[in-house]
Amino acid sequence: MDQDRRQFLRNTGIVLTVAVAGEVLLLSPAQARAAGLPLQVLSAQEASTLEAITEAVVPGARKAGISQYVDKQLAASHEDSLLMLKYLGVAQSDYLSFYQGGLRSADKLAHARFEKDWPELTSSEVGMLLTDISGTQPEGWQGPPAAFFFFVIRSDASDVVYGTEEGFAEIGVPYMAHIAPPQPW
Amino acid sequence: MTAVKSIPVEDAFDLLVVGSGAAGSVMAAQAARAGKRVLILEAGPARELSDLVSSQIWARRLKWSGAYVEEEGNLSIGHGFNSGWGTGGAAKHQYAVWPRLHENDFKTKTRYGKGIDWPLEYQDLQPYYDKIQAEVGISGDAAAEKWRPPGEKYPMPPTPVFSQGRVIEKGFQAMGMSVAPIPLAINSVPYKGRNACLYDGWCDAGCPIGALANPLVTYLAWAREAGAELRNHAQVTRVIHDAAGRKVTGVEYFDAEGKQHRVHGQAVVLATFCVQNARILLASASDKYPRGLANSNDLVGRFLMTHPSHAVYGLFADETLPYQGPTGGQLINQDHYEQKLKAGAYGSYQWLIANALKPNDLLGIANTRPDIYGPALQEFMRKAAAHMGAMIFVGEDLPLAENRVTLSSKRDQYGVPLAKATHNITAPTEALCQAAVVEGLAIFKAAGAAEPWAGQRFGMHIIGGTIMGSSPETSVTDSYGRCHDLDNLYIAGPGLFPSSGAVNPTFTIHALTLRSAEHIVRNIP
Repeated sequence: MDQDRRQFLRNTGIVLTVAVAGEVLLLSPAQARAAGLPLQVLSAQEASTLEAITEAVVPGARKAGISQYVDKQLAASHEDSLLMLKYLGVAQSDYLSFYQGGLRSADKLAHARFEKDWPELTSSEVGMLLTDISGTQPEGWQGPPAAFFFFVIRSDASDVVYGTEEGFAEIGVPYMAHIAPPQPW
Repeated sequence: MTAVKSIPVEDAFDLLVVGSGAAGSVMAAQAARAGKRVLILEAGPARELSDLVSSQIWARRLKWSGAYVEEEGNLSIGHGFNSGWGTGGAAKHQYAVWPRLHENDFKTKTRYGKGIDWPLEYQDLQPYYDKIQAEVGISGDAAAEKWRPPGEKYPMPPTPVFSQGRVIEKGFQAMGMSVAPIPLAINSVPYKGRNACLYDGWCDAGCPIGALANPLVTYLAWAREAGAELRNHAQVTRVIHDAAGRKVTGVEYFDAEGKQHRVHGQAVVLATFCVQNARILLASASDKYPRGLANSNDLVGRFLMTHPSHAVYGLFADETLPYQGPTGGQLINQDHYEQKLKAGAYGSYQWLIANALKPNDLLGIANTRPDIYGPALQEFMRKAAAHMGAMIFVGEDLPLAENRVTLSSKRDQYGVPLAKATHNITAPTEALCQAAVVEGLAIFKAAGAAEPWAGQRFGMHIIGGTIMGSSPETSVTDSYGRCHDLDNLYIAGPGLFPSSGAVNPTFTIHALTLRSAEHIVRNIP
């Protein structure tokens, strides 16, 4: 990969870099997750909650690297950000508080209802909470409206699971790229 | 931060064009072709065809990334989605659905007692539609569009109808309604050195092969070939005028490094789309014009419009393979376009039928059913990927004075107040939308969809905010986009439209701008 290509990829904010024995490697969020790279913006608790929720909403989101994807986009400039939030009426200055506020409220809800963190919930408990978040404004919920937050992270998860060449193939849709993305996403 | 009066004038041009989208590109091309010295100032980054990566995730780099626009009202104009960012503006990610406005769109106040009359008639625009159509190329079947206003036939045959279109067409036939191939600014065959379409549905991500007529392969390319200069990351903050307040002298802008510049022009064209045009005018207030430029009658920002739209979806027993074809759709219906007045409702409308769908993103398959998740979503995705059909209702909006762009109390990094866009629809438009959804669901049932459903209402396109007209008391500009208050300040783009019609605006933007460009070229010394 030439230098211009590397810089281009970095500028898009969709890949992560890591120095290994003096070599800078570019990793997709899924690869970054597999490599256990640290997050830049989200805390471990926030990432854990995000993964637990989105995995239940769009199966495959955790392995695809949902946390690494959201984390990297939150660290990117507005111009380079690839988050769908970009065209949903939220100011870029509020992106981080949008995710953190929603995840914090989701944690509080899980503890209020079941005294557990999201990864510890049973599938039926997760289902009950998702019903609340997606269709109502649970009591004590703060940050972005619960249903809107659910819509956004569901869309993020759909991006990483279905918005790639592998995701297209999973449901039988030919990708037919004019210009293939240099990384899946 | 306010403009510094001591900024030296760095350069002078015949024409300053602010914005490199559809309107700015046509304006710049015509002026440059006429031998004028033209500078295009584009707020966003440089974009080339090679940047148009086939991915709905990557495509978000083409969407608005400038100063935040505050929005309120019962139907958002969707500024973040409907606006563009970087070279080519919103036209870079347009879907190239290019129907003409109809003759009954131009004098709605006179004919129906609703809305605002245009200062021109369809017949005034017709030759410009025809010129643009020949130069850019449109694929379609004029004879099949029985509702089509007068005009030259399309220079290319229609794009093919794929299985999704054929399946949905049966519903229209069963309802006694008509369909025709959508007139698309997409090459069905090679045209003037540009490739033919491959029908892979990546229009929203930007077409890098030149089949879709975005500015990078049409007027912006021609403007640059004719000598126009394009400066990217040039954020215009203010239009400046002479001491008498009759003429503008140029603009001030910030570059990527945050350095402020001042350039002069014999004339200035604001072509930064509806919201930013109004914002720049309002933010250019001076001692002579304390309410903002071109705003003597408090009309700048008013009559902001968007096309109220609904998608209708269904799963069919037959294969539809909805990944095939153009994003904008394969077929069109305008059977009822001439009937703007209905019981309790007002407005024309059209159906855009069989839109190509990708799995993800705002308009993708997954978000057509935002209510399902988990294993049910997986099952739905697999079925929908092969059996889903979609079509979109595009309705007319009413120009209302209270729907407007104003300045926020918050400011951007350059000290310019943010724009606030307020947009509400009222009862006649609400009734139009509700009736259309009922009709759409009936069409899909007639086509064989067992349980069709409608998506949430959304605003498609942005229109108005600096409307043209015959009188300074009722409009911001004349029919050429020339501001009533200032002889050499022009507005270009859909912000000029006094009424929205119910067709996609990009073709009309081109035609109207071409008419204005000829006028401007004649009047630049």
